[in-house]
Amino acid sequence: MVNAQLLELISASIIVSALYIQGQAYFKPTIYAQAIQSALISVLAFYLGFALNLIDYVILGVTIVVLRSFIITYFLFRGLKAKPGIRESTRGVASELVVNLAFFFLAVFILYYFVLGRIGLTTEAGTATLTIFSFILFFQGLFLIVTRRSTIAQIIGFIEEENSIVLFGILTIPIPFLIEVSIFLDVLGLVVITSLLTLQKLEHTRLEELMG
Amino acid sequence: MLLEILLLAIPIIANVGFFNTKLLKALSLASSSLELIISSLLYFEIPVKGIFFIDNITIYFLLIVSSIYLLSVVYSLKYIEAEETRGIVSEKLYYVLLNFFVASMIFSTIINDYGLMWVGVELTTVASALLITTEYSEISLEAAWRYIIIVSAGVTIALFSIILIYYEYHTLTVTSILSSQPKDSLIIKLAVALALIGFGTKVGVFPMYTWLPDAHSESPSPISALFSASLLPVAMYVLYRVYEIYPLTDLFVALPTLSIITASIILFKQWHIKRMFAYSTIENMNLALIGLATGQVFGAVILLLAHAFGKAAAFYSSGVIIKTFNEKKMDEINGLYRMRITSSSLLLSSMAVTGTPPFGTFVGEFLILKTLVQSGFIIEFTLLVIFLALIFISINYNVSRMIFSRPKYDRSPKEPRLMSLVSLISSVVSLGIGIILIIWGVIG
Repeated sequence: MVNAQLLELISASIIVSALYIQGQAYFKPTIYAQAIQSALISVLAFYLGFALNLIDYVILGVTIVVLRSFIITYFLFRGLKAKPGIRESTRGVASELVVNLAFFFLAVFILYYFVLGRIGLTTEAGTATLTIFSFILFFQGLFLIVTRRSTIAQIIGFIEEENSIVLFGILTIPIPFLIEVSIFLDVLGLVVITSLLTLQKLEHTRLEELMG
Repeated sequence: MLLEILLLAIPIIANVGFFNTKLLKALSLASSSLELIISSLLYFEIPVKGIFFIDNITIYFLLIVSSIYLLSVVYSLKYIEAEETRGIVSEKLYYVLLNFFVASMIFSTIINDYGLMWVGVELTTVASALLITTEYSEISLEAAWRYIIIVSAGVTIALFSIILIYYEYHTLTVTSILSSQPKDSLIIKLAVALALIGFGTKVGVFPMYTWLPDAHSESPSPISALFSASLLPVAMYVLYRVYEIYPLTDLFVALPTLSIITASIILFKQWHIKRMFAYSTIENMNLALIGLATGQVFGAVILLLAHAFGKAAAFYSSGVIIKTFNEKKMDEINGLYRMRITSSSLLLSSMAVTGTPPFGTFVGEFLILKTLVQSGFIIEFTLLVIFLALIFISINYNVSRMIFSRPKYDRSPKEPRLMSLVSLISSVVSLGIGIILIIWGVIG
């Protein structure tokens, strides 16, 4: 028997971690928050694995925690050259967070009333409302990519998006393990490449040559 | 089965020559030639169903990828040798990534599983992102980064689509889903619509196509050719396979039409030679997508095939010009007629990519537009004719200006023969496709 409230609590904690990332300009805590967010998703997978007696979820949880919380975190720090105390040269983190919250409530409202209520998606907990958390996380990731200029923040935005997919899969239907692992490895590959690019270019600005 | 495995394995095996640049180049050349031969042989084995899925549509996409792979490898032999590879990508790494890039495109095309198709499409990003930075500069780093972040964000949306398909069918096998009874559910409609935005990012569909001009303009020319001629059609192939589950024709005509309109407006004011051709790619890809969506699959395939050779030639000749003049601004490039092979190739390729008769692209565009009218999309047809004409004028005006204007310098520019010849051959193939089809009476 699955406890829906517990699922909602963990899912809400995942969203809180996303909001923390959005309001943080320092790289180090942002990277750690990403690791915690991934760990929370793995907790969700473990819980469902034990509650439903499904080994697939447990393996998925282990994969998430190893790849996302440890290996990806390692590469992100490597890209940062392990310099402590560096922050993004941005001033509007607080105001961006306010805009993000407005955007977040609007997106939730639209999705809840116009999409999820109509398509008849059910979850392991028997309700479509839980999947809203994955969409919220997706929008948080998207918002982070759009509002930030640093490589680290943008790649964390991308990882949040990927986390949202994992969350969506866990809450609706876990896809075959081979594909799941391939997806994780793909994301890992991208993060490794990103860490190489981060070493060359930590922040991104508008370049005249790339306009038009 | 053996041929399909060989097709996947050969580009990867070619990378065993990593320790020696000359050997790696030779193996890459052998690999690209073998890929073309195997793709051609597979034509006699279709339909293939099982782990891999190859039918009479897939085969043309395989031929596109392997042909452009061969041309790009031959072109790279001189282009990358002349290029001072610095920064992240060395000459060796260039060939290794190129081979992996091609392998990932082939994997996406032949695998019989929507989930693994997604993995393949994402792998193409992993393999190709660093290639953009071969000609190392701050701009190329930025272009590579935009490519990674925009395409990955877009393709993530496509993964929602894949999960929804699995939710509905409990399988991701392409052949099983396509042969089962169509499901008229909102979930499937949502999945197909999300695929248009997600995979559409890589195809060059509005509004997520902004990575495309950056990546195409900053990549070395053989990679720009592979992007435009192979990568985008591969992504379109995957999108088409999802579209077949539940055809949302109106949406798949409306969004590409909007893409062509916006691209043509931006193209009108373009100053960068490769960015101009990148926007032309957006136009051609979206037109082919309209063809696939309206059931004019033959026209779409012809357009993609002819466009692949035409656009590859356009990027190859642009590469020669940029190397010779050390200039990307079209206003600063003039008197190209003195470079006989390159200017001929540039002229032919610009005519090819704008759908000038009797090029293959013209045949494809004609069939697609005809079907569009027959399907009742009159407004879309009218808009397309107007904006395709605008693109035709913009590109051919700029190219003619570069070729026939009076040269600023008396010194006659030296033409790299191998690169120019590859470019010319590629543009002539596009012309040949059109002539053969017209003789066959395809548009009669």
